[in-house]
Amino acid sequence: MGEVEKTFIGGLHEKLAEDKIIDESHLEPNFAKEIVKHGGKDVMTCLQCGNCTGVCPISLKIDYKTRSIIKFCQFGLKKFTLEMRWVCATCYRCYEYCPADINPAEVMIALRHMAIKEGVIPPFIKLAATNLVEYGQSVKPDSEIERVRRELDLEDMPSRTRGYAKVVREINLLVRSTGYDRLIGIESEVRG
Amino acid sequence: MTQYAYFFGCVIPNRYPGIEYAVRWVCGSDGFNLDVEDIEEFSCCPVPGIFYSSDKRTWLLIAARNLTLAQNERREILTVCNGCLTSLLKATENLADPKNLGRVNRVLSQIGRKYIGIPTKTEGRRRVMGPVKVRHYVDVMINDVGLETIAERTRKPLSNVRAAVHYGCHYLRPTEKQTIDDPNDPVNIDLIIEKCGATSIEYEDKLDCCGAGGGVRSHVVELANSITEDKCRKIADAGADCIVTGCPFCLLQFDNAQKSFTKEGIPVMHISQFQAIAMGVDPNSLGFDTHHVSVHSFIRKLRGT
Amino acid sequence: MPVLAWSDDVNSYESLGENGVGETAREVNSISSNPRIGVFICHCGSNIAGTVNPSKVREAAEKLPGVVTAKENKYTCSDLGQDEIISAIKQNGVERVVIAACSPRMHEPTFRNCVKQAGLNPYLLQMVNLREQCSWVHSREKDKATEKAIGLVRMGVAKAARLEPLEAREVPVEQSSLVIGGGVAGIQAALDLAEMGFKVYVVESEPSIGGRMAQLDKTFPTGDCAICILAPKMVELSRHPNITLLSYSEVEEIHGFIGNYNVKVRKKARYVDESKCVGCGVCADACPVKVDNKFDLGFGKRKAIYVPFPQAVPLKYTIDRENCIHFKTGKCGACVKACSNDAIDYEIVDDEIELKVGTIICATGFDIYVPKKRDVYRYWESRNVITGLELERLINASGPTGGNFIRPSDGKPPKRVAFIQCVGSRNRKLGSAYCSRVCCMYTIKNAQIIKEHQPDTDIAVYYNDIRAFGKGFEELYHRVREEYGIEFIRGRPAKLSENPETGSITIRAEETLLSKITEREFDLIVLATGLKPSEGSKRIGKVLPLSLSSDGFFQEAHPKLRPVDTAIDGIYLAGCAQGPKDIPDSVAQAKAAAASAAAIMAGKQVRIEPLTAIVDEELCVGCGLCVEMCPYGAPEVHESETGSKAKIVEALCHGCGTCVPACPQKAIAANQFTDEQITSEIASALGGVGRAAGKTKKDANRAEGA
Repeated sequence: MGEVEKTFIGGLHEKLAEDKIIDESHLEPNFAKEIVKHGGKDVMTCLQCGNCTGVCPISLKIDYKTRSIIKFCQFGLKKFTLEMRWVCATCYRCYEYCPADINPAEVMIALRHMAIKEGVIPPFIKLAATNLVEYGQSVKPDSEIERVRRELDLEDMPSRTRGYAKVVREINLLVRSTGYDRLIGIESEVRG
Repeated sequence: MTQYAYFFGCVIPNRYPGIEYAVRWVCGSDGFNLDVEDIEEFSCCPVPGIFYSSDKRTWLLIAARNLTLAQNERREILTVCNGCLTSLLKATENLADPKNLGRVNRVLSQIGRKYIGIPTKTEGRRRVMGPVKVRHYVDVMINDVGLETIAERTRKPLSNVRAAVHYGCHYLRPTEKQTIDDPNDPVNIDLIIEKCGATSIEYEDKLDCCGAGGGVRSHVVELANSITEDKCRKIADAGADCIVTGCPFCLLQFDNAQKSFTKEGIPVMHISQFQAIAMGVDPNSLGFDTHHVSVHSFIRKLRGT
Repeated sequence: MPVLAWSDDVNSYESLGENGVGETAREVNSISSNPRIGVFICHCGSNIAGTVNPSKVREAAEKLPGVVTAKENKYTCSDLGQDEIISAIKQNGVERVVIAACSPRMHEPTFRNCVKQAGLNPYLLQMVNLREQCSWVHSREKDKATEKAIGLVRMGVAKAARLEPLEAREVPVEQSSLVIGGGVAGIQAALDLAEMGFKVYVVESEPSIGGRMAQLDKTFPTGDCAICILAPKMVELSRHPNITLLSYSEVEEIHGFIGNYNVKVRKKARYVDESKCVGCGVCADACPVKVDNKFDLGFGKRKAIYVPFPQAVPLKYTIDRENCIHFKTGKCGACVKACSNDAIDYEIVDDEIELKVGTIICATGFDIYVPKKRDVYRYWESRNVITGLELERLINASGPTGGNFIRPSDGKPPKRVAFIQCVGSRNRKLGSAYCSRVCCMYTIKNAQIIKEHQPDTDIAVYYNDIRAFGKGFEELYHRVREEYGIEFIRGRPAKLSENPETGSITIRAEETLLSKITEREFDLIVLATGLKPSEGSKRIGKVLPLSLSSDGFFQEAHPKLRPVDTAIDGIYLAGCAQGPKDIPDSVAQAKAAAASAAAIMAGKQVRIEPLTAIVDEELCVGCGLCVEMCPYGAPEVHESETGSKAKIVEALCHGCGTCVPACPQKAIAANQFTDEQITSEIASALGGVGRAAGKTKKDANRAEGA
């Protein structure tokens, strides 16, 4: 039975196989409007042509179909969009050819924002944000690289200079001003 | 003459200092002698895949802070990274909305900054302000330096090199409103490579994504790598000596991912490094030892051995 | 400006004028005369009454200066509603009528008639738009909508008090018609009008009439051969005594107005004397130049002296100047030597013809969307990607392959064919959001024809939605699946890649109903390219100020009730110039356009609205600025005893009002939109804001600030 469902509904919908019937309790009313509020375009204008799936590098690799995500959004099936939203490579190819002129990649980003607000925060976000508030850069400095820099006669990384402390203070202030530290749970890293 | 400010971002200084060296050499007095300065207070752009994806307010504030630095120096931002390009360009578009601008400036005032843009023209007594200009290195090479100059300055034509160009998605589609090349038929990096005397090869699915963007590399590295593997296979099939890209993050992905599926791998370099070699810089001084995929095969090819 | 007294029987009511104005007497006195005004407020079912409170509007109207009666109607435009207006006018001695209902666009003529029946001059009517400009747009703010409605009625009443009677003029109608475009729509319209006895001029820019339909193979859903059913009509047109065919000609200028259009047509030089050419084709045999045949969309070849296709009408040869050796080098002359009738003459020049017609039918057709270079569909990069129209030529018995279905790259019959739908249609990125309405069916029809040619062909159709809405369409859609096993795949192809060795093309697409990405190989790809406004339409758009709808096609006067009319009286639309449509619809619209044009011409006389500009000769200094400003050439400056003065030729004036603000002497006024009438509206609007909104001091202040 499971195999049959996999074949006919597609692996993406394995969740659907669990809940044979989607009743209204699954639906999030005004989900499309919420997406617009978070900076996405109106998913209700999507024609479901599937062009976005066909050009998507991720859709070729895993059970992730851009068009399906948009369909879930149209329906208001918020919970089905939860896990899929972090695999978009934001290559914007879906946008390039979309005949409805929606920007599916921006929809994915809007979904990410909603997930963050619900506390679904992937570890890499915290890591990069911690680097930012500590060094002013998202990539952690590396002593080996610093040696190569000296070999190449490049000046020390700005983040290693004394004046850069002011930059880090400013960044910390900006991060605190929006409550971003609390939003993604890095309060303890933020100074000042 | 246009005045620029270097914006190297995070990946180049902290992972690929060779690119920084190459860019400084190419733009500097030994190269095209552009008027470029460092602004030391630049921070992370910030990374679109992390900050634009998690909170647009924080993203816009940090990007706006960087923009004010260039604005106060009246310089155009010269980015060497597709991610920095898309992040900062998007920020200028966002800040064109007076509401966003007001919100941002209210916070920025606490650190003594204000984004107003740069004056573009005067209408009567009124100055018309435009956004701070954000330029990609390739854009500057093509439109400000010019292909003729690039050809003139090529001392060691890389005539036996077959390069596979990877443009990178955010170079092709930085924002909805702006492009710097035709997203379906980009030519700029190919043209630079040809002016360096080398051949830019055609290969299948040239415009495909490297797989790393949007946090995919950080989140599910296997997924990113498998996309890169597809692309590398097509590049190898076309018989390329190296992969040339304008984006350090794509470069990082090609460089790191190849370890996961092959021993040898195709050398990867930034277009500035490629140019530097053609302009006579010793490849050994371009920091290739920080690259994971060895460039020995490429250097052997250069020497014709 | 004194308000003109109205006809005698109404004058007798003037003594009643002071009644019912009570507290507003001061305001009334400031008006030089005080006509008795009746206000009629329409509920329009719930269209207006659902939002605006009509009783409140009526109560407010009753208190307005000059208003002697105010009434509500459920539907003012109904028989009952009109009767009520007539009886109210008669009972109360109403001299000016204000009808607060819908947009005047539809019902102003209705109510003018109604007012006329009541014995008033029909131009003593003022309409107030409570529906489109109030209730429909403010349905969420009912109180404010009512407030606005009261304000609008107050403005209407203020203007009504200053209305003056006007007389419509009647002008004779030329008993002839111009049909622009000789496709199936133009042909049908011309034939119908000619049969009714009117003189018809048909102007076609190509050397032959026939249009796009002549290029098609079979027609859906019945499978009739297109040229077989069209050619007899083409011949009939060319032989009809009432029709003058001006082929290879362009409309250069159109001036005038309904019933009296002056048209300038340029007949392009064919370099072949039409009266001598018998269409034998000896010249083409002799011609050494071979070029791509545009009619076959580049698949076949033709000579530099040519007829586009064998059934061309008129069957007269034309020299293609760009490719002719004589015009390039001055040599050759092979065709001249070959022609036994001495028909060929390199010295022929373009000819200008002037026509006078009463009506015009615009049937300028459509063009096919051309895919972009380096696009997903590889139209320019792969030879085996063709458009639907190209396929029509490839499977046509009189086409370049003689009806053998082969693919362009190797001349072999393709075994696997894919159709891709909605190319250049339903695409906001390309600015063509509309559905082209014919692509689904021509794809289905062509799939059937291919199967009939070569039954072992595999055919797949990549579609978004199949629209088989016409008579017999759904049945054909069913038949191609049932009888021919055509596969329908719901998905928009994302990537096409060509195998350089075989020339075959792999399509990658998501089969959306399966949620699976598939890759399948085909030998030939047919793009179901959509329809777009034609270049010919764009040229006519420069000659005639026809309005365009958002899709770029010509806009009809009303989408339901005036589907073939344009905003300009006496000019009608037929066929795809108005929007994509199939052959039956084009023919139906052509017949409708012909009937509409005939109705005007059969009347012999036509009424011209008196809403024109008028010049006050005392103020005019004859500077001529109005002559420069007018888009219709209505004002003329002439010399009189008192110096040079401007005069408006009423028949040419559209009442657009462009000249009015341009006149430095303020000597021009537009009837029914005089400065006095408009300022009275504005004054009552501004005077009203404070009163209506000024319930509290704060509101009043805000209103002042505004």
